[in-house]
Amino acid sequence: MLASWRRLSPMARREALEAYLALSPWLLGFTLFTVMPIAVSIFLSFTQWTIIEQPIWIGADNYVRMFTRDPLFWQALKVTGSFVLISLPLKLVLGLALALLLNNRLPGMNFFRTVFYIPAVISGVAVSLMWMWLLQPDTGVVNTLLDAVGVKGPNWFWDKDWALPSVALMSIWKVGGSAIIYLAGLQNIPAQLYEAAEIDGAGKWGRFWRITIPLLTPTIFFQLIIEMIDSFKVFTEAFVITQGGPLKSTYFYMLYFYEEAFRNFNMGYASALALFLTLIILATTIFINYTSKRWVYYESE
Amino acid sequence: MWYRSRKISLVLFALLMLIPFGAVTLAQDVVTIEWWTVSSEEYSEEVQRALVDQFNAEHPNIQVNITVLPESGFTERMTATLGAGSGAPDVAFFWDNNWFPQALDLTAYIEADPDLDPSTYFEGFWNTRSVWQDKIVGLPLGVGANFVMYNKDVFDEMGVAYPSPDWTTEDYIATATTLTDPDKRRWGGDRPRGPFRAIWRNYGAFPYSDDSTTVEGYLNSDASVAAYTWLWDLVASNVTPTPADIEILGTEGTGPIDLFLAGRLAMATLNQGHVLTAVESGVNFGIVPEPQIPGNERYANAWSLTASVWAGTEHPDEAYEWLSYWVGPEGQQFLMQNGHLFPSIPAVLETHPDADKDYVQAFFAVLEQRQVAEWVNAHPCNGTVLRAAVDAWDLVNLGEIGRDDIKATLDSLVEPAQQALDECVARLGA
Amino acid sequence: MSLNSSAAHPNDSFADIDRQLRRSNLTTALRRLAGNGFLYFIMVVLALIFMIPLLWMFTTSLKTRQEIFVWPPTWLPAVPQWDNYADAFAKYPLARFMLNSAILVMINALGEVISVPLIAFAFARLRFPGKRILFIMMLSTMMIPGQIKLIPLFSLFSRLGLIGTYWPLVLPSFFGNPFFIFLMVQYMRTIPRDLDEAARIDGASTWTILYRIILPLSLPAVTVMLVFTFLWTWNDFISPLIYLSDFNSYPISVGLAFFQGRYGVEWNMFMAATLISIIPVLVLYFFAQRHLIGGISTLGLKG
Repeated sequence: MLASWRRLSPMARREALEAYLALSPWLLGFTLFTVMPIAVSIFLSFTQWTIIEQPIWIGADNYVRMFTRDPLFWQALKVTGSFVLISLPLKLVLGLALALLLNNRLPGMNFFRTVFYIPAVISGVAVSLMWMWLLQPDTGVVNTLLDAVGVKGPNWFWDKDWALPSVALMSIWKVGGSAIIYLAGLQNIPAQLYEAAEIDGAGKWGRFWRITIPLLTPTIFFQLIIEMIDSFKVFTEAFVITQGGPLKSTYFYMLYFYEEAFRNFNMGYASALALFLTLIILATTIFINYTSKRWVYYESE
Repeated sequence: MWYRSRKISLVLFALLMLIPFGAVTLAQDVVTIEWWTVSSEEYSEEVQRALVDQFNAEHPNIQVNITVLPESGFTERMTATLGAGSGAPDVAFFWDNNWFPQALDLTAYIEADPDLDPSTYFEGFWNTRSVWQDKIVGLPLGVGANFVMYNKDVFDEMGVAYPSPDWTTEDYIATATTLTDPDKRRWGGDRPRGPFRAIWRNYGAFPYSDDSTTVEGYLNSDASVAAYTWLWDLVASNVTPTPADIEILGTEGTGPIDLFLAGRLAMATLNQGHVLTAVESGVNFGIVPEPQIPGNERYANAWSLTASVWAGTEHPDEAYEWLSYWVGPEGQQFLMQNGHLFPSIPAVLETHPDADKDYVQAFFAVLEQRQVAEWVNAHPCNGTVLRAAVDAWDLVNLGEIGRDDIKATLDSLVEPAQQALDECVARLGA
Repeated sequence: MSLNSSAAHPNDSFADIDRQLRRSNLTTALRRLAGNGFLYFIMVVLALIFMIPLLWMFTTSLKTRQEIFVWPPTWLPAVPQWDNYADAFAKYPLARFMLNSAILVMINALGEVISVPLIAFAFARLRFPGKRILFIMMLSTMMIPGQIKLIPLFSLFSRLGLIGTYWPLVLPSFFGNPFFIFLMVQYMRTIPRDLDEAARIDGASTWTILYRIILPLSLPAVTVMLVFTFLWTWNDFISPLIYLSDFNSYPISVGLAFFQGRYGVEWNMFMAATLISIIPVLVLYFFAQRHLIGGISTLGLKG
């Protein structure tokens, strides 16, 4: 870094100094609220710590156990990976679709935008109870409606093959939150581009694929990273509703982490679990970031 | 609050400049004790505040400062605080055994205290909730237990005799079958909400050996197979709500009280907290212990909450003073009369305003049974092993395996359960 | 700068149709109207689906406790129990809890507005050594599970003597939330560079470019940030639970948890309190959204 500093022109140095100045609040916060806790966690991952008593150094044993003699770790990894693969594409596509719908300027649109935001607002126990009620196999609204059209609905949360899709369905329902971000992104697409394309005879689909999507790629990139991180860290739904069951079909990684840390007081092992998940997410992010040069289009670069 | 405290600290600073030093030393004579508790059906925030006011008035040298937390977040907060090693309260619930290493050993205090006699507490709860590794880590506040509540109106309507306290597990299925009415969506009974609870003990089943070495021959023993087979029969008889129905109405901790209140469950395994709700709602109900196996020792799933002094406290004497007031006869009497606590001191419990009612007598009888907690407390790996073995429970509960597959299923779970046990024992040195 | 004024373009709903009428002929407008009819149809169907839970919570909040789980399930209560709302407010100081939440929201929003655009601007527009690695580090903050930071952070704030105060709940926002920084970076990167290049030639400083050009054009992203700050602060349960001690300083998220008892939940009162608590979030969003719409896309129209 120092070598490159010397190569900079005085003007570039000034710009860099200004940048560091602007970044300084974040750098300070990062050191206090992230570096310190992470350093502690890295240390703890090499110990056995009951939280209540002093940690005991055990070397890499937590990591050895994770990979060689812990079937639950692999199960949690498999469940979480499947969840990411199921929910991530759906969330990205449906969020965009909803945002495009809400981007229409029609009378009363403010009302609709608010309605679609509701699911993102209600949190915790109320939502969980509501979903159990909606997806109740015999009397729930969803299966009653399916019954009306002659389809026998599944047992949802209470079937080992359907529990994971049920949790995915819950998280997709909250897509109104990410639609807001798409909506903001759509505002940055200059209208004259559409007008020019219209004059050139481009149809709706043509304009969508050739203007909306390319100019929205920075937002799509953002959503991809954020939703990926969120999906890997999925926890609350399983914690409140399924407790990881039935037959560990919703035994998410973070649920395993939580049980190890706060139920079994095995914080050393839990730290190792959490750090490994961070590494997986980091690797995925770096990979996506690497591919982004090919498909993300920045107006300013 | 910080936006206020800044102003306050300015004012304080100004006052300090003015007041002669003598006055400041006088103020130091009052010791402040931080107390964390929860608000629950048994003791509301108001009632506990009143108890503190009474104590503070009687003890001018001690000022108890109350922090009321929601029941659903107390555990996380205590764990985080105890883990951080600073900022923990002087006195609080230590209801998780894992916290005990940071509880002050009260042995010397109790020996020196003429007003507190351990033998006045229920022996079972004193042994499971106060004594830990030859230390006295706290005092047990209140009592609770699981038992079967039955809806008398449903029994009368169907012309069925009320269950008797010595009923068997077979009686349970038979009675539930007569009371079930699919047209009304009414079920005769519910299912146990986890393996190796009271009924497993009644069958004589344990998940692993007493010396914490072996799963083989315990998880898959004849007694265990018999208990799981009874569960299988109960599930197959279609006289209980499905897991879907049960879970909608309350997870692990809360039980199907709402289904019972709505008259859709003729019998349900509930507890004394639910009794309060049922009384309030005007439901006509009775209580019996969980069904037994003739000839076997009978167990109850019962609990009390340990309240302790934090080992890191700066004022252990004053903290003990408050603890022994709160959980001693005075405090429990107060919480019973002004709230809904069932005290853990029999002499106090007998003065309960409803002590002459049948259901309260039935509840008292359950408290005399042996406790599931005895074994669980002595075996900290219990939870880890059950987690590895919970698949058998799921399979039976969801009706995924045949009656004859139970033994084979349990056999197949011995290995992962043993692995979990070994790891846990190596870690805890148990 | 004429650009600035058009950034806050009002959401004039009929402007499109009006423009269509003037620019082309009547048939196009009619076709547009028919299309709108179809759009409305889709919106209404979707809205009904999204409204079901709210309606259900509402009717549940008006039932007696026994009524909630009767068979067959009923949509409407036999006699609406409006008292549930009064009872919920009588049981806990909900208004006080909501006021506390509002205070926390305002301080956090202030912190984000001060810190986020500044940090994001450096990442989006300025060139400096180490940018790529710092950016990944910034993103990595979001990847670490929050639960693992719980105990070290508690320890930190405890050593600073801040337990029992609002500081641990508001201080981090003044150092920039990585989610919002990332959001803002992505947004700023889509703003054409010509705008600030031109200003720089005119002699504008870096900070003038940020606060006079880039920030006004980022209004939709700032709105998203404020909407999410409101929502997350309002719903955050674990931090206030861990850091606060005075009952009267609890925010609404912790207050709602008091309705879940040890032996069950009083669903009717709980739903009543939950419904009341989400109204401010929805009202804020209803008014904030007009700033989501508008921004650079409207620039071309004025030109």
